Amino acid sequence: MAILQANKIYKTYGNKFNKQEVLKGIDLTVEKGEFVGIMGASGSGKTTLLNVLSSIDRVTRGTIEIEGKEFTAMKEKQLAEFRKQHLGFIFQDYNLLDTLTVKENVLLPLSITGISKKDAHRKFEQVAGELGIYELKDKYPAEISGGQKQRTSAARAFVHDPGIIFADEPTGALDSKSASDLLNKLADMNQKHQATIVMVTHDPAAASYCSRVVFIRDGQVYTQLNKGEEARQSFLGDIIKTQGVLGGVQQ
Amino acid sequence: MSLNVIILRNLKKNIKNYYLYVFALVFGVALYFSFVTLKYDPSLDVMEGTIKGGAAIGASSVLLIAIVAIFLLYANTIFIKRRSKEIGLFQLIGLTKGRIFKLLSAENLILYFGSMVLGILAGFAGSRLILMILFKILDIEVAAKLRFSIEALQQTVIVFAAIYVLIMLMNYMFIKGQSILSLFRVNSTAEERVRKMPIREIIMGVLGIAFILGGYYISTQLFGGKFVDMAELMAAMIAILALVIIGTYLFYKGSVSFVFNLIRKRKKGYLSINEVLSLSSIMFRMKSNALLLTIITTVSALAIGLLSLSYISYYSAEAQARESSPQDFGYVNPEVKEQFTAALDQAGIKYEELYIPVFYTSVDAAQVMGKTVYQKDEDKQIHTAVISDSSLGNVDVKPGETRLMGLSGALKNFMPMKETGELGFWTAEGKVPMKLNGITSEAVMPYRFGGGSGVFVVDEADYQKLVKVSYPSSQKNVPTEYYGLNLKDRGQMKQAYEIYTAQESTGDKDHALRLTSFSQYEFEINQRTSMGMIMFIVGFLGLTFLITSGCILYFKQMDEGEEEKGGYTILRKLGFTQGDLLRGIQFKQLFNFGIPLIVGLFHSYFAVKSGWFLFGTEMLTPTVIVMVLYTVLYSIFGLLSVVYYKRVIRESL
Repeated sequence: MAILQANKIYKTYGNKFNKQEVLKGIDLTVEKGEFVGIMGASGSGKTTLLNVLSSIDRVTRGTIEIEGKEFTAMKEKQLAEFRKQHLGFIFQDYNLLDTLTVKENVLLPLSITGISKKDAHRKFEQVAGELGIYELKDKYPAEISGGQKQRTSAARAFVHDPGIIFADEPTGALDSKSASDLLNKLADMNQKHQATIVMVTHDPAAASYCSRVVFIRDGQVYTQLNKGEEARQSFLGDIIKTQGVLGGVQQ
Repeated sequence: MSLNVIILRNLKKNIKNYYLYVFALVFGVALYFSFVTLKYDPSLDVMEGTIKGGAAIGASSVLLIAIVAIFLLYANTIFIKRRSKEIGLFQLIGLTKGRIFKLLSAENLILYFGSMVLGILAGFAGSRLILMILFKILDIEVAAKLRFSIEALQQTVIVFAAIYVLIMLMNYMFIKGQSILSLFRVNSTAEERVRKMPIREIIMGVLGIAFILGGYYISTQLFGGKFVDMAELMAAMIAILALVIIGTYLFYKGSVSFVFNLIRKRKKGYLSINEVLSLSSIMFRMKSNALLLTIITTVSALAIGLLSLSYISYYSAEAQARESSPQDFGYVNPEVKEQFTAALDQAGIKYEELYIPVFYTSVDAAQVMGKTVYQKDEDKQIHTAVISDSSLGNVDVKPGETRLMGLSGALKNFMPMKETGELGFWTAEGKVPMKLNGITSEAVMPYRFGGGSGVFVVDEADYQKLVKVSYPSSQKNVPTEYYGLNLKDRGQMKQAYEIYTAQESTGDKDHALRLTSFSQYEFEINQRTSMGMIMFIVGFLGLTFLITSGCILYFKQMDEGEEEKGGYTILRKLGFTQGDLLRGIQFKQLFNFGIPLIVGLFHSYFAVKSGWFLFGTEMLTPTVIVMVLYTVLYSIFGLLSVVYYKRVIRESL
């Protein structure tokens, strides 16, 4: 079942006279339980793509459906409501509120759903346990490491069981050990809970954890690779090869 | 792009952000200019004799300028910090510190002197309004005319130019002392925000609340008879001040975060959006602003308290005048009275006459007096006048009994007495026992006769007996008879008062007559004038303080809004709507502005409550009016800050 379906999406910035076309008719389908990576050089439009897919930014043309709901025409307020219920986010710079403790940060998306306190705590225990941050629950973001922050951010994305999770360069600010830790956890969550994850990254090693990698170049889908039954190492090799062909500069 | 263009651009951007600063500056200049204009205005001479209006206004203009100067300097430190990044950028592109300083000075010059010109114009227009308000308060019927005063203009320009130089000096030192890197970092190092709650803070929090409550408790006991010695009273007052001020500081430093922390702990990590936006942010911010908030709270409590007290006094002018002279007019000297009544008859003004003979004695009140300043029994004596019930007509006292009439509210508190009990009237033939049967605060004789302790009313027969054996030495050099006159139609009061003053001025010029003739109307006018003047000055100073402190809180909120913008971005990405965030912000501002306001109101309430009776006869109405007014004006700044936050939230995604 397709959980996300984007048809011919265009995104242009600027005015009539000075147009900058960032996305030029991208089609993308994500199935339930997939772990999709989006790769591309700087300026290829991958972050813009993630922003429009996740309803933070609007498309200029085209339609996007998530869980069968078309949201490109929705009003600002409906969009917020939509994000709240169907989407989870992990950002490069963690985006934790530093005045809140780890637990408070993680439970933030639940507070609007009106779920009971007891269920909220149970949910927290489960997610935090799986991501290995339960012991940190009363610490403030300033007191924990980058990897722990990113796992907190991930816990916040998973806690309300969203239909799809968007991750924007989640390993961008982490050292290699924390990065592989986090990616292993994400892959785990993907396997165990059939969580759908769309991750933007420029790091081939990070992308190799995905089940499918989509390459973007100059605002269009250039190609995609499926992992299939391949081992992670050989998949990484494929990705690096493709990336080499992709390049950053027109040849 | 030349420097001039940069200056103009900055200016345009700043005015949008700092309209409140401009407003406060314009207001400050306007008020100062009108005060100085009033000082030099001849129309204030009308009030000469009662108090020196000009001098009082002059003195308050100094206070006014102090408030405004502190505000401007403080606001400037906030602004320069906000712009530190910009200054760093200028340095990075190669501008020298001198050029940057020139740039800032030019920018400020336009903003500052532009507002000053506006302020002077507004002040000129407003000074007439202010004079009209003053005359209205003082009940003076003179048309408020004003001329443009060159002296006032000069003084205003000099004073504000001096403040400008001070501000520039501060900017200069700021730019001089900073390196490029540190300028870029100013914002991030400004506040260390997140820490655990140490034990020290919990203790501080508990102490803060305990200190404030302790101060309040002592204040309610202040005039309750516990502190009888003058030295003790002083010590108690100082203790109250110290407890409340230190308590307020600890309250902001510890109690707020302590209480909020308790609430937060109980939520066990499951916070609603309102709590996310308010609880955590206030917990950390109040601590770092503790000193500022303490000053604002204390001074606003002082302003509210003083304003309430002067309003109480003004409000009770009529009642106090009745205490000073219970009848419309009173005379000690029958000849002068005859002249006055003849003039009244001639003018066709009808009146009732009261004749009260008086003698003086000491009364031993040791049995009825509670704990007072006087410790020993032989000190518990009241020296006052005694009159007969028959002179009053509407009062009947049984033989052997006496009633104390006209005990003032202030004295009642200093010298608490039982309503009934044994008294001893000292006479040439020894102590005559009398039974006290009732104390009333309603005066029957002018203040001059009984002082604040009132007069004793006895039965006619007792009076005749006592007067015969009274000490002759006590009756020397004091009035022994009194004529009270009540107009039948109080609408003719002004006319009668004109006759009264005409007579007074033709009579002997020395003060003898003033002490022997009384006019309730005159007492009331005098009270109104002096208290009105104080109220006027305290009112405008308080308003200035309110506006400046409101502005400072607003600027602080602006800073906070900018700093928390990132958080709003996160929350909106997570799917919280602008409406959700705005509701949270409203909730937060309720605390941010509400806590200092409520603490200030409580402080002033207890301050007023402890000693209001020294100032007047009615506490509740004037105090409530002042407090409501203050709250309304203060809330405006809270609302403005919410409007500002609305913009920040809208722009955050």
